[in-house]
Amino acid sequence: MIEVQNISKRFGRKQVLKEVSFTANKGEITCLIGINGVGKTTTLKAIMNLTPINSGKIFIDQEVIQKDTYEKITFIPDANIMPTWMTIREACDFMKDYYKNWNQQRADDLMRFFKLNETDRITELSKGNTAKVNLMLGLSLDVDYVLMDEPFSGIDIFSREQIAEVVTSHLIEDRGVVITTHEINDIEHLIDKVVLLDNGVVLKEFTTEEVRLTEGKSVMDVMREVYQP
Amino acid sequence: MNVTFNTRDPVYVQVVRYFKEQIAIGNLKAGEEIPSRRELAEMLKINPNSAQRAYKEMEEEGLIHTERNFPSRITMDENILSSVREELIAEAVDAFVQSIVAINPSIEEVVELVKKKYEARKQGETT
Amino acid sequence: MNRYWKLVNFELYRFLKLYVSLIALTIILQFTGVVVKSLSYVHQANSDIYEHGMSRAQFIEQNGLANFMQIAGSLWFLAPIMISATVILGYIFLIWYRDWFAKNRFIYRLLMLPTSRLTIYFAKASAILLMVLGLIALEIIILPFQLSLFQLLVPADLRQDIPITAVLGFQVLAIIIPGTWMQFVLHYLAGFMLVCVLFTAILFERCYRWKGLFLAVLYCAASVMVFIAPAILAAIRIIDFYPNELVSLEIVLGLVVMGAAVWISQFLLKNKITV
Repeated sequence: MIEVQNISKRFGRKQVLKEVSFTANKGEITCLIGINGVGKTTTLKAIMNLTPINSGKIFIDQEVIQKDTYEKITFIPDANIMPTWMTIREACDFMKDYYKNWNQQRADDLMRFFKLNETDRITELSKGNTAKVNLMLGLSLDVDYVLMDEPFSGIDIFSREQIAEVVTSHLIEDRGVVITTHEINDIEHLIDKVVLLDNGVVLKEFTTEEVRLTEGKSVMDVMREVYQP
Repeated sequence: MNVTFNTRDPVYVQVVRYFKEQIAIGNLKAGEEIPSRRELAEMLKINPNSAQRAYKEMEEEGLIHTERNFPSRITMDENILSSVREELIAEAVDAFVQSIVAINPSIEEVVELVKKKYEARKQGETT
Repeated sequence: MNRYWKLVNFELYRFLKLYVSLIALTIILQFTGVVVKSLSYVHQANSDIYEHGMSRAQFIEQNGLANFMQIAGSLWFLAPIMISATVILGYIFLIWYRDWFAKNRFIYRLLMLPTSRLTIYFAKASAILLMVLGLIALEIIILPFQLSLFQLLVPADLRQDIPITAVLGFQVLAIIIPGTWMQFVLHYLAGFMLVCVLFTAILFERCYRWKGLFLAVLYCAASVMVFIAPAILAAIRIIDFYPNELVSLEIVLGLVVMGAAVWISQFLLKNKITV
């Protein structure tokens, strides 16, 4: 389980996160939704210790992040993070070199599924293919938790469908997935849990099936209530 | 399998209803093997936990059976299977009655109209 | 191969194109220098002796014997060394900043590797050190060839042969290739310290941005002060050191400065770094 406890973060005078708390379970897809503001990505970065927080605590399976934790949790950002001169194959080789839990079989499966050409250079990829390569590199690690930053934004509809398909597929297995997004349309049926953020504050945390069952509301209904009082 | 889900009912409830419909119209037969939870989630593009919950629900209702380490199957129990059909028909009629009562027509008038429309529809399907 | 060596290898590979250019530049300019300088001397001699009827003795008296030092002191020879030094100094900064500011954000991947973040720091520092040592090795390897070429081009009676050790003791070469092993080690230990201090300064900037720049300047000033304090004290004669004492003291202080750099970097990388 990923536990985020009362984390706060300032950028200069701007309060980006204010006492943010939530949990994300293994075997579930948790969605961090925020219609504006920067808090979502910052939260994922904070979980990965890629940016310091001013207060609060973060635990991954009851432990504070340290070097071996990166074999257990991975972060898929919304932009390319591999050197542009590499080919997709070289990027895979790089990952294989440094991560014990790299799964080449899965990488090959994902490349086939996404129709990626392993001799293509990272620098020549379209926005959609960059997202797919990022996803391929992240999901080919045998980790327990996957954090995805805006996997659907700025991508054509067919790529979005493919990505949504991967998220529900056996490739995810029983990992814990955290997705940030500002748009819920494509993935309402995919997610277990929603954390609604606004201006760095958690406004509501709920499970989707529960809210449909007990209140007869869609995620969008709840968002409308919460964001437009 | 291509199902459009609405966003306001729990996905697992909609999956159960989908299975019941398939049983009622005979697309799924007694004892037939059904996809695993994971496969179902992939096919319907839904959350695997919703698929899981739908199967649990159907197991509790006796619609499907899962032997250890074997794929789940539709029940062989004819009583349950025929009750599914009755249940769906009753549900649909309930919904219909509820909306027609608000307009307050005579029962004969309604039955006549239903007959006419139903036959026209059936004819349309066969031609 | 452990992750440290893989990273060193990776950093060297990323610098390879520029590095090969530097090597090519050094070889081309220095050998051209040997040829141009030697031939112009021989040409001068030919013209004075055969066309203007000067005797050999007179020519030598006027112009002196050709001497490799004249070549080693020329811009042909020194420019590639200075260019290489400048490029590597620049790369000390670029080796970090390129991970933040290129079209990719490779720093994300680096910081998420399942290894201590100090490994990244040491890999980058080691890569810089190896690049420098590589260029030094190149210079040591090509020097004898340059000497031979010089001897080939200038007739024996017009040149003064000096041993290669004397060439090494000359000007810039004396700094980059010190005569004794001890000095060599000390020079490059000091160089490594400089790299560590600059890296730490860069990390200050990366962690605190504008405020960090200010901290970085303060930090560098403090490091330099600690390191040169004994020399200053000796220079203004507050304390008199024996040369040996001064060297030992400098070694100790150098290690202290380096230790502090590594410790601070470790802290920054673990707790303060932001991508």
